[in-house]
Amino acid sequence: MLRQEFLKKWIMGLQICSASKKEMSILERKNAIKLSADLAMASTRNGSTNWRRALIANASKENDNTTLVDQILGKDSESIIKKASIPSAFHDERGTTCRGKKVLRNRCCGIRRAKKMAASAGSIAKKLVKKRTQVLKRLVPGGESMDEFSLMEETLDYILSLRAQVDVMRHFANATPPN
Amino acid sequence: MNRALPEMLHCINTPGNIAGSFTDMSVLERQRARIKWQQEQLLNQPPCYFEGNDQFNGYSMPNHAQDFHNLISSEVGLVVKADPGLDNGWQEFGQFGGEGSGLGSSGFVNGSGFELNYGISTTLSCPQEVAAAVTETARRESVSPEKMSSAVGRESFKKRKADRNQSLKAVAEEEPNEKRIKECNEEDESKITEEYSNNSKNTTNNDNNIKRETSADTSKVSEVQKPDYIHVRARRGQATDSHSLAERVRREKISERMKYLQDLVPGCNKITGKAGMLDEIINYVQSLQRQVEFLSMKLAAVNPSLDFNIDSFFAKEVFPASTSNFAIGVQSEITNPAYLQFNPLQQLASCTGLEMEINTPDMALRRTTSAPISLPETFLNSSCFDQIQTSTAWDGNLQNIYSMEFLQGRSTSFSAQQFTGSNEASNLKMEM
Repeated sequence: MLRQEFLKKWIMGLQICSASKKEMSILERKNAIKLSADLAMASTRNGSTNWRRALIANASKENDNTTLVDQILGKDSESIIKKASIPSAFHDERGTTCRGKKVLRNRCCGIRRAKKMAASAGSIAKKLVKKRTQVLKRLVPGGESMDEFSLMEETLDYILSLRAQVDVMRHFANATPPN
Repeated sequence: MNRALPEMLHCINTPGNIAGSFTDMSVLERQRARIKWQQEQLLNQPPCYFEGNDQFNGYSMPNHAQDFHNLISSEVGLVVKADPGLDNGWQEFGQFGGEGSGLGSSGFVNGSGFELNYGISTTLSCPQEVAAAVTETARRESVSPEKMSSAVGRESFKKRKADRNQSLKAVAEEEPNEKRIKECNEEDESKITEEYSNNSKNTTNNDNNIKRETSADTSKVSEVQKPDYIHVRARRGQATDSHSLAERVRREKISERMKYLQDLVPGCNKITGKAGMLDEIINYVQSLQRQVEFLSMKLAAVNPSLDFNIDSFFAKEVFPASTSNFAIGVQSEITNPAYLQFNPLQQLASCTGLEMEINTPDMALRRTTSAPISLPETFLNSSCFDQIQTSTAWDGNLQNIYSMEFLQGRSTSFSAQQFTGSNEASNLKMEM
């Protein structure tokens, strides 16, 4: 279901791309393919989750992709982009405040721990977790402005659709006739 | 006979003691006690069993047919009862009795035949006993009604027996097996049938009781339900104000998500600890993203124009891809000498390396990913292996292209090492 939808949208995007530009280098082609695939993936469920919106917003921000975005997403694109821009701004604010809080808390904890001079293992583990969470936030599109819980949910969803994308693309790559 | 009696009385006493001590209890309680006792006895069952056998052999010596018959019939009951681990053996023996007249008519005239039969029954029952010993604890709650009923039947019978253990004949009459035997001998037929019907009534009653009990048990189990609110429990020393409670709820939610993620990400099952799991998740997401990148690159390389035909796609799902056109395309597009270095640990990895190799010359870009991309296990397992397995059509292509590239004299240092079998993460260094 997900895969079929993705394939349909992807093919559509690819056709749009090929129609818009005739002569492309390989890198351009690759970028076009990837962009269309990403957009198709993001638009399969009409931007119900944050990362889709962020992906679409990123794609539409970049130079001349807007036409492609519009065409792939059809009528819904504008509303999605609006949605994407509004929550992202909102989340940015929240994210900054959260960060401030976290910093404060960290300081407090650090002082406490310095006093205790124990529980070093716990602090190390916490640091490790925090570092990895930051990395994950960078990986998931739009993850910078998420809190931990929503990040987990988004990651779940993102992994699922990435899987579908990879699956379809792989089959496609294996089956396409080399011209 | 005289020698036998005290022994038998002794034997009766062992179960009889229990029956006597529990006479004021209800039937079910007595059953439970009985089962418990059986379980205890199961442990020291083998010596018991041999003891009984010896006893039996000892008593099979006298030659008086009728007395001997009585003796044996009572003896069987005693042996079995002195040795409750043989319950199954008892049932077996009953079946033997049901087989019938072989035991009753011919087997009983000479003691040896009976001995043989009995031996068979006991030996047959031995594995069953082991199985019973194993399963006893497992289904202590749901003991099969038959077994329980048989136990109950014997229970009631034993009680009665304890009451009038003086007369061997009465004892003999009460035994169902002996009833059969006696039926064969056609003695006291009416009385026995009466007894038999009584006994069967008893057992059926008890059977019903037990069934009811077990059903009640199951209903009790099903009655236990999960509360639909989130249960937050503060351990000792934990704060109970609303903020920390909310924090705990949040953490629980996160850990639940993590559990889902653990199921989703392959190879994440064995890892405990949040950091390790996050590592795995990050690796998996990265690998998937890289795969998307790689696949789009591959598609861009394969197709000079972005005209993908869905028709051809579906057609090609059926037919394997041909390579001739593709080879030409590769030839025409090779402009920059790309330096490729692969150090695959596995043949599988080398295969994917080949695929990469095909694409890299086409890309006509010199990008140096200087940092060795350490592909984690998951990547190797999930992507590469599947890729190789699903795309068997590619193998032919790969070989063709590989040979072609050698013809062109490309500087491909491709060290395909032997399959080491180690599933370690292979560092797939590539400079392109």
